[in-house]
Amino acid sequence: MAAQNMNLERLIEAGEEKGFEVEQNAEYGAGPVDVVWNINVHRALPNVKFGFIVLGGEEEQQGGSKDTDDNQLSLRKIEEATFRGIRSGLDKVYLVTENEEMAKSVSGKIEWLASHGSLIRLDAISLGLYPDQQESSVIIPSQKRVPEGEKIRKEKEREREEKFDRYNRPQGERRDKESEEEKMERELKFDENSRPKGQKKALGD
Amino acid sequence: MSQQGENSYSEPERRAQERLQSIDTLKAPIIQMGRDMGYEVIENHDLGAGPVHITWVFKPGSESLPDMRLGFICLTEFSNSSINEGVARAMLNLIDKLVFVVPTETMTKEIKDAIESMPDSSILQLRKYVTVLTPSTLVSKQGIRGARERESSETGGEVI
Repeated sequence: MAAQNMNLERLIEAGEEKGFEVEQNAEYGAGPVDVVWNINVHRALPNVKFGFIVLGGEEEQQGGSKDTDDNQLSLRKIEEATFRGIRSGLDKVYLVTENEEMAKSVSGKIEWLASHGSLIRLDAISLGLYPDQQESSVIIPSQKRVPEGEKIRKEKEREREEKFDRYNRPQGERRDKESEEEKMERELKFDENSRPKGQKKALGD
Repeated sequence: MSQQGENSYSEPERRAQERLQSIDTLKAPIIQMGRDMGYEVIENHDLGAGPVHITWVFKPGSESLPDMRLGFICLTEFSNSSINEGVARAMLNLIDKLVFVVPTETMTKEIKDAIESMPDSSILQLRKYVTVLTPSTLVSKQGIRGARERESSETGGEVI
């Protein structure tokens, strides 16, 4: 409960500092929204509404254990809170969690839910946040985050495949592609290196 | 013996049991009706967002047309959170139309009102997506032609 209050105060202060109209415990008919920022972008345009819903750890309905124990909030809770915001007419719904790990887990779950190809792109509306968040909360896919790393990995993969191809070809196939000169050189080497040690020395002398 | 077993349940467990039982009661006629009408009936359809109690899959008969999924979610008590959760589950599980099945007419009205009371600024018009009814309404409305259907037959039109 104390953690929740702390979250709310920070959000309210942050909104007011930026000059937004801030509502607390707003109720538009679909359930409570902890904090709403009414952002007046331009006089000619309607306000943009950002809603913040604090996700708690208790499973109220089923009397179960805390699902914050392993920093994982249930999909049920995430879905419910997001649609509470959507039904309340919010433009963006931010789900506020206790810590960074939980916020990342929530954002990841939102991405996953959105990946099924539903009519509604949940990740375009909702996101997980934690109170001290300073950096961007948007999850960047690894391909965009480390494009160089991806290239290196693919290059190495190609090299490995080439090597494999070179040394693991069936013997018959290799011989067919061998020129006469290569064949002689190979046989000579084979002859030199396959003799017993003593014999080789004797020949060398 | 059985009484002892019943008494051993804690209060939340007993409530959960009762809830599951009444959901099963609500589900039964919908499963039967879906089968009778020749639809593919899926129980607890779940792509990962949580179960949709019953889904009727309607196949339009052409490979180039997508299947249509009509989802049924049974609600045993009214609350905004259960509506939010139901709508979320249906949309995220790729259900094309959602039907909330409730035990009483009073509850039908409560849920309809809650869905229609959405603010104008909301990006969703849920009344276009959600239908609320009781199993008895569903059964009794079988065989009754809609107004459009009646009109077209009266004017000699053909229902394709």
